[in-house]
Amino acid sequence: MKERAILLVEDNPKDEALTLRALKKNGIANEVTVARDGAEALDYLFTAGAHRDWNGGELPAVVLLDLKLPKINGLDVLKRIRGSEKTKLLPVVILTSSNEEQDRLRGYALGANSYVRKPVEFHEFADAVRQLGLYWLILNEAPPVSGGPLPHGA
Amino acid sequence: MPPGNEGVPLGDGAPVDAKSYASAMLNILADAADEKARLADTQRAILNILDDAAGERNRLEATQRAILNVLDDSAQEKARLADTQHAVLNILDDAANETARLQATQRAILNVLDDSADEKARLADTQRAVLNILDDFNVEKEKVEQVNVELRNEIAERVRAEEALSRANAATEAANRELEAFSYSVAHDLRAPLRGIDGFSQALLEDYVEKLDDQGKTYLNYVRESAQQMARLIDDLLALSRVTRAELRRSPIDLAAIARTVLAQLQRSEPDRAADLILPGEMAAHGDHGLIKIALENLLGNAWKFTRKRERAQIEFGQTPQAGESVYFVRDNGAGFDMAYADKLFAAFQRLHKASEFEGSGIGLAIVQRIIRRHGGRVWAEGEVERGATFYFTLEEGT
Repeated sequence: MKERAILLVEDNPKDEALTLRALKKNGIANEVTVARDGAEALDYLFTAGAHRDWNGGELPAVVLLDLKLPKINGLDVLKRIRGSEKTKLLPVVILTSSNEEQDRLRGYALGANSYVRKPVEFHEFADAVRQLGLYWLILNEAPPVSGGPLPHGA
Repeated sequence: MPPGNEGVPLGDGAPVDAKSYASAMLNILADAADEKARLADTQRAILNILDDAAGERNRLEATQRAILNVLDDSAQEKARLADTQHAVLNILDDAANETARLQATQRAILNVLDDSADEKARLADTQRAVLNILDDFNVEKEKVEQVNVELRNEIAERVRAEEALSRANAATEAANRELEAFSYSVAHDLRAPLRGIDGFSQALLEDYVEKLDDQGKTYLNYVRESAQQMARLIDDLLALSRVTRAELRRSPIDLAAIARTVLAQLQRSEPDRAADLILPGEMAAHGDHGLIKIALENLLGNAWKFTRKRERAQIEFGQTPQAGESVYFVRDNGAGFDMAYADKLFAAFQRLHKASEFEGSGIGLAIVQRIIRRHGGRVWAEGEVERGATFYFTLEEGT
């Protein structure tokens, strides 16, 4: 079985590089696709734009979602994900600089599966990424979202 | 009768001759003719006179007729006058009755007027009384108007004050919204570059370690420490602004229970330290549990931190009634402070100790002060260098 991909939604190239570095350092070799704004993230997930053939039409194992993004912000991306039959069960982890109460509250209210604050200190950051990868890619069993219509009531 | 048949003597007894007779006769005849002429003249004169008299008489008769006519008219007039007079008399008669009635009425009116005069006098009295009252009333009214003017001024003043207050409230709300936006931006945007600075410094230290000498490694570590310090400062600032922005939710709380939890955490963080922790079993108060816990974390955390050099730390949390209100205190036997700097204790980022001696950003007591003020209380401190410090605070008495 093909290893499932990670969709990293991140507009800051340095954070992107640090995240990829942390994944690599922790031996997480899954394919990582980066969407650099909210619209791109939705394109990937709904194959509406330039990314029709992305990941063979399969959904990623997890979406690592920043909140403050160009075009469409992270919370609106999350709203769209939860509003679509295709992606409503997709695991979404909010990974952001902010630990403001309102962000956490709205993130969870819109159906985020996790909320992780990016630490400034690199070792802490790398450890957070390691734990996320370990949990969402290995430990967690993903919902059956990619295999056709769901059983009624699922 | 004709006048010639009288005065001629014929038979008086004296012998009369024929001639003398005849002459006498002739004389007499002559005389009689004269007489007859004179008589005729007279007669004519008389007839003329009579003629004149007849004319006169006609005229008289005409006059008489005219007079009679006039008198006739006059009689009619008189009758009419009499009628009129009757009528007038009747009228006068009626008028007399009327006059009597009028007089009676007049008397009645006079009586009434008499009564009315009394009444008028009484009315005048009443009127004077009313006027006096009105006079008093006017004085009173002026006073009332004066008071009204003052009231109006006061109301205007109050309206102005309320307008000023609502403007101030609007300004505060705007400032809060701005603070919210500012905090949001700080939370999202200010930490990301620091993560880059720290992360890539670390990447250099890991990937290019053989190209760096010790000095270079030291500098890179300084870069990382600075970035991390700034990240803490940002977090402290956000914590301070969060304390201001957070909604205050008051409920009955047990301060002793909160203090016990906080002290237990501190003891766990440094289990080797010897400390006497003195606090009552229960201390009921009214406040926001989350915010009060943050305040006690800072006060007790300071006490824990500044007693680090003591062989045995003494930290007491208690309550002392002062002037009818509850005053809570946190007392320690730690490093203390110089009372000359007491006013700087609660300012953000003000520190009275060197970072090499005691760590910290200097935000803790600023947070404490904001929390206590938001509870309508006061916070102050007493201390002496190397002889410990006591921090006091009050909370607005809740219901």
